[in-house]
Amino acid sequence: MNCLDRERLFNYAHRLLGEQQAAQVRTHLGECSQCREAVNHYERLDAVLQEWKPQEPSAWFDARVRQAVEAQEARRAARGFWGLGWVRGLALASLGVLVIAGVAWLTHRHRSVSTPSTLATQQPPQTTAAQAPAEVAKLNPRAVTPRQTEKPRMPATELQSAGVSPSEDEDARALDDYDLVADFDVLSELPKKGARVAN
Amino acid sequence: MAMESDLELMLRVRAGDAASFETLLRRYRLPLVGFFHRMVRDRALAEDLAQEAFLRIYRARERYQPEARFTTWLYRIATNLALNAIRDRKDEVPEPASEDLDRGPAFERFVDPKPTAEQKLLEGDRQRLIRQAVESLPANQRAAVILHKYQEADYRQIAQILSVSESAVKSLLFRAYETLRLRLEPLLREGQI
Repeated sequence: MNCLDRERLFNYAHRLLGEQQAAQVRTHLGECSQCREAVNHYERLDAVLQEWKPQEPSAWFDARVRQAVEAQEARRAARGFWGLGWVRGLALASLGVLVIAGVAWLTHRHRSVSTPSTLATQQPPQTTAAQAPAEVAKLNPRAVTPRQTEKPRMPATELQSAGVSPSEDEDARALDDYDLVADFDVLSELPKKGARVAN
Repeated sequence: MAMESDLELMLRVRAGDAASFETLLRRYRLPLVGFFHRMVRDRALAEDLAQEAFLRIYRARERYQPEARFTTWLYRIATNLALNAIRDRKDEVPEPASEDLDRGPAFERFVDPKPTAEQKLLEGDRQRLIRQAVESLPANQRAAVILHKYQEADYRQIAQILSVSESAVKSLLFRAYETLRLRLEPLLREGQI
């Protein structure tokens, strides 16, 4: 008699077969001692394996688990907002960089735009250095510096009639560096032709 | 008072009830430590892994979805931990378990095809031989047998835990039990006349 395959016998012993297949195996087992022994071994194997008793947890196992859980909760509470670690850290760092870059850009833009416009607003057309130097100087001393102001020049004929040579005109320009140009009275203080200028 | 189901307890844990976690811990400490001990042999490591499994369950409580049985989820976590631990120790030289140190090579004597009368074993020896036979199985077969035999998981549950099909579990278990039958044959013959 041909024996049944082992897997079928195993499935029979583990009650994995349908009723019809199980009935066929039962019939065969009644006639085949080898297959009967194999099924008997599978069933005994179950009983033998039960002899392996599980390890008991140590007396401090529960306490260790509780301690680990509490430690984890404490870490979580301590982290607070930073609980998501690097994700939040990266997001905040990016935000910080954006804010700093934005502030720097706005500051730079404000400076480059506001400087000339300020001068324009503080230097109305009717208050040129020639007309009201004192007022302009009061408002904005830098606005009436010699290099930025339209300087009145004494015509050469007038200079000659006043006894001032062209070189003395240069002296008059030099005076611009010391004081307001618009103050024409200072010209009267200039030395006469031929006189030495005291240092 | 009726015993609360694992599902009810876990839903309470998810809602922040620490007492329900304590109940689950008491309910599953013995089976879980036993599962790890059978899987990795080392007692200290078994407790460390069981602790880690409980910790992972607690950590994942807010994401818990009662779609499968609690034990399926529990043993899925546990099996992954155990298989990782076995894989990590693969290159290490295996140390004999403490209970093996003073008893000699009983397993070699046991697998002798011609057992003698002197090989009648004490109960402790029988347990040791059974353990050695199970430990000699490949890790996935060992996990399937331990889940099936000692954790009372059915085929469907084992399939979910190991992320394989049910037919794959049947095949896995057949090969494992066939190996065990051959290795433990002398014990299986003992009761026969």
